[in-house]
Amino acid sequence: MSFLLLVPIAAPLAAAALAAVLGWRRLTSSVTVAAALSVLVSAVILSFNNRSQVRFGILNLFRTDALSITMLIVIGTVGTLATVASIGYIDAELAHGHTDAKGANLYGVLVPIFLAAMASAVLANNIGVMWVAIEATTVATAFLVGHRRTRAALEATWKYVVICSVGIALAFLGTVLLYFASLHAGASSGDALNIDVLLAHASRLDPAVTRLGAGLLLLGYGAKAGLVPFHTWLADAHSQAPAPVSALMSGVLLSVAFYALLRVKSVVDLAVGTGFLRTGLIIVGLLTLLIAASLLLVQTDFKRMLAYSSMENMGLVAVAAAAGTKLAIAALLLHVLAHGIAKSLVFLGSGQLQAAHDSTQISDVTGVLARSPMIGATFLVGLAILLGLPPFAMFASELSISRALAGAGLGWVLGAALLLVVVAFAALVRNGARMLLGPPAPGSPAIAVPRSVSAALVTGVILSLVLGLTVGPLLELFQTAASVLGGNR
Amino acid sequence: MSTTTGLAALATLLQVVAVVAAAPLLVGGMRQVRARLEGRAGGGIGQPWRDLRKLLRKQQITPAGTTVVFGFAPAVVAGTTLLIAAILPLIALGSPLDPAADLFGVVGLLFLGTVALTLAGLDTGTAFGGMGSSREITIAALVEPTIVLAVFALSIPGHSANLAAIVSATADHPGQLVSPGSLLAFVALAIVIIAETGRLPVDNPSTHLELTMIHEAMVLEYSGPKLALVEWASGMRLTVLLGLIANLFLPWGIAGADPSMLAILIGLVAISVKIALLAGVLATVEIFIAKLRYFRIPELLAGSFLLALLAVTASYFFATPTN
Amino acid sequence: MTQATYNGVLNLAAGAFLLAAVLIVWRRELRSIVALLAWQGIALAAIPLTEGIYQHDAALIVVGVVVLLLRAVALPLLLARAVGTEPGERRESTPLVNTTTSLLITAGLTILAYAVTRPIIALDPSPSTRAVPAAFAVILIAVFVMVSRRRALSQAVGFMMLDNGIAATAFLITAGVPLIVELGASLDVLFAVLVLGLLTGHMRRTFGGTDLDQLRELRG
Repeated sequence: MSFLLLVPIAAPLAAAALAAVLGWRRLTSSVTVAAALSVLVSAVILSFNNRSQVRFGILNLFRTDALSITMLIVIGTVGTLATVASIGYIDAELAHGHTDAKGANLYGVLVPIFLAAMASAVLANNIGVMWVAIEATTVATAFLVGHRRTRAALEATWKYVVICSVGIALAFLGTVLLYFASLHAGASSGDALNIDVLLAHASRLDPAVTRLGAGLLLLGYGAKAGLVPFHTWLADAHSQAPAPVSALMSGVLLSVAFYALLRVKSVVDLAVGTGFLRTGLIIVGLLTLLIAASLLLVQTDFKRMLAYSSMENMGLVAVAAAAGTKLAIAALLLHVLAHGIAKSLVFLGSGQLQAAHDSTQISDVTGVLARSPMIGATFLVGLAILLGLPPFAMFASELSISRALAGAGLGWVLGAALLLVVVAFAALVRNGARMLLGPPAPGSPAIAVPRSVSAALVTGVILSLVLGLTVGPLLELFQTAASVLGGNR
Repeated sequence: MSTTTGLAALATLLQVVAVVAAAPLLVGGMRQVRARLEGRAGGGIGQPWRDLRKLLRKQQITPAGTTVVFGFAPAVVAGTTLLIAAILPLIALGSPLDPAADLFGVVGLLFLGTVALTLAGLDTGTAFGGMGSSREITIAALVEPTIVLAVFALSIPGHSANLAAIVSATADHPGQLVSPGSLLAFVALAIVIIAETGRLPVDNPSTHLELTMIHEAMVLEYSGPKLALVEWASGMRLTVLLGLIANLFLPWGIAGADPSMLAILIGLVAISVKIALLAGVLATVEIFIAKLRYFRIPELLAGSFLLALLAVTASYFFATPTN
Repeated sequence: MTQATYNGVLNLAAGAFLLAAVLIVWRRELRSIVALLAWQGIALAAIPLTEGIYQHDAALIVVGVVVLLLRAVALPLLLARAVGTEPGERRESTPLVNTTTSLLITAGLTILAYAVTRPIIALDPSPSTRAVPAAFAVILIAVFVMVSRRRALSQAVGFMMLDNGIAATAFLITAGVPLIVELGASLDVLFAVLVLGLLTGHMRRTFGGTDLDQLRELRG
């Protein structure tokens, strides 16, 4: 079965190679869609066969367990939606002259590389390989963020590269410290960074060195996940990137970075007790929620608004991880999946709005529901999911997270988080209503929606309805994943 | 340390006399080196002595409105410098004042002299006096901690802050001189000695433009014998500080704790040679440097403070296995 | 190579490494900062080379040579080319924190580094681990440099210094990490410099200069 393990990485890489040779055309973009779909399909097959076991491949550098399968499902789903929409999006950009053939080719090559890197990160057993994969995602997305070559895009790319590189460097230092501690706990130098080896030696890891390493990893991977204090790149990068890339970055990349933190947490909790990372995650999570909610109140740009909403959700996810119980982790994973699909819907829709109005100011966009039922309805659905309204999945996940926090004795954290989520809720409702409802302003341009974008949007809505109404077989997967992480309550 | 013998006391006395006698010669020598390298004839090595003699014969004028501070400051400066000359291990190691030959004592005495002159500058009530005093104290604030840290860095291998102990430890283990701690301490000490004695690039001792003065501005109102004393004292400070850095980093030739007459003479010759050499190098380097603008001086001194701090940490943490 | 020589060379290399970082904070001209970075790369390469010679480990010596070529030659050259030729570009504009305060903050960061790394030395008190505080201090100083500079290239130099410090830490406490991770780290550095150099070129064309204060469109 290690063939199935390779598919999520090899298929997108093959698509990238094809795109490098042939350039941007219908064939290569369709192959990319097929690659993303193959990630999803292999994840589903793996979940049938392997969800309760851990299997290794390729020199024990890679593993599949319930947690990595869950993340692969997220990557595959959002990846498919985004790559399908990319076809129409880039064709429209080429037609309107917003990008040239070189830009389109670069896009076509970098997006599948991005998918392959994320897949490698979640399939890695060796945290060194995980680090390399996450660093590769920064490399791949840097030029994607600057796709449009405007002044603002350049500024966003600079901030993104600088801040995320610093974060990745700090995460590397944390990894080195864990390696050092692992060597001194008796692991052999070849596999001292393997997760199973680290878990086995966890009780013998030196506590002080592990704490230092864990703190650095929290800061470093937190930077990639958009957590305070290295969060300042998020709004700029996600708002300047082309819409499908924003969907991928907001919907999946942040979660993949957080996944890295979860893996580290499972080792660190065994070595120094749950208190250290719990406190760290609570502080970081609440601060992220605070800053995101505050900045959401004063937003005038809808893409930045969506980016801050992602930041708010990552703060909530961090707080949930702090609780650490089985319920909390399972709820967290559901939240991540639902958030991924929701962000795809809203970012793809906003991409079309930006193409129509040539601006991302909220005040310029009115009456979308009246002007384009497709964009209006799907944007409304996406917002409804993000607001945590039933019957969609984020209602269930947020409820479960609250129960988990209460059950873990973190009532005050729950109170603070709920307050901030309400603030964010209000901001999103106000801006969403302004954009979607009511009569359109006279002279508003028509909103064109390429066919592939509509296909992606409709699929996304269907998926989120299904997910909301019945979590179904995924529930067991999430719960197995939670127990993999050592949640024991 | 061991009981002092009569010869050790003689060595100390000889130190003081030599510093008193040689200070103007040192200043004159530096000016002569500079003059020759700049292609001038120069006034000769003995010119400062002739200047002092001239000043001693002049009438003492005291500005109206000054107090005893103005009157006593030259004596305080000269006195503290003489005391330092007696304490430092320049010719021999075992001076009668050895128990007081502590790093902090020496730094305190240096600072006392600086403060006395600063107060005298303020006492005159003139604009230039006040300006010189404020500049001098700004520099002193950064210089004193640096001297303490730099010499402390050198004292860590020997585990004692007694200057004689530091010098003998360096003489016994010359290999320590190339450790990172010693090198950094040397650079830091060199910079602060230049700042403390008012040489280029911190202060130009031969400037006539009042707005560029630091040390000279404080003593603008002195005349006659008091001015002679002030000039002499600054010459002695330069001699003593050069002797300190010479013996901290090149301690060979110094007489031991229980010296014989021959050892004392050798020590005298050795320290004279070392000080003359250092003074010559300093004078030569001064030709190539321009004076720093005043607001850049704290940068330089903060940098030397940082180097001294790094010297302390380097000596402390890079402990060799022999420690 | 004797134990004493090994200790001495390692201490000198770590000391020179930290000194280069201090001088980068002190100096303001871009050309001298890039030159100091090259010197720091040499000091960095000395660490695996010394360890390789002392432990007769050929792999470490190869790694040391690669580090020397990459971080002391190739990357500073790339940065130097990006410095540009107009005299107005060469000098750093006033940094956000003036030099005196920067130097005093650097002193504080050095002491902090010594405090923070005590558990590492306690776990493994060997001569190479005792030099880790210097590498850690360079990491803290590099983050400070990145935060307090205005020119894009100074930030790039700060980032390179951060990577140098992390590489030094890795070499000192573990004699290197597994090869694949080292490869990833080097690619990261190469990428960062290429991207930053490219972006600086773009910036100069788009904004007419590389003063980061001009990047102020995205706010709020």
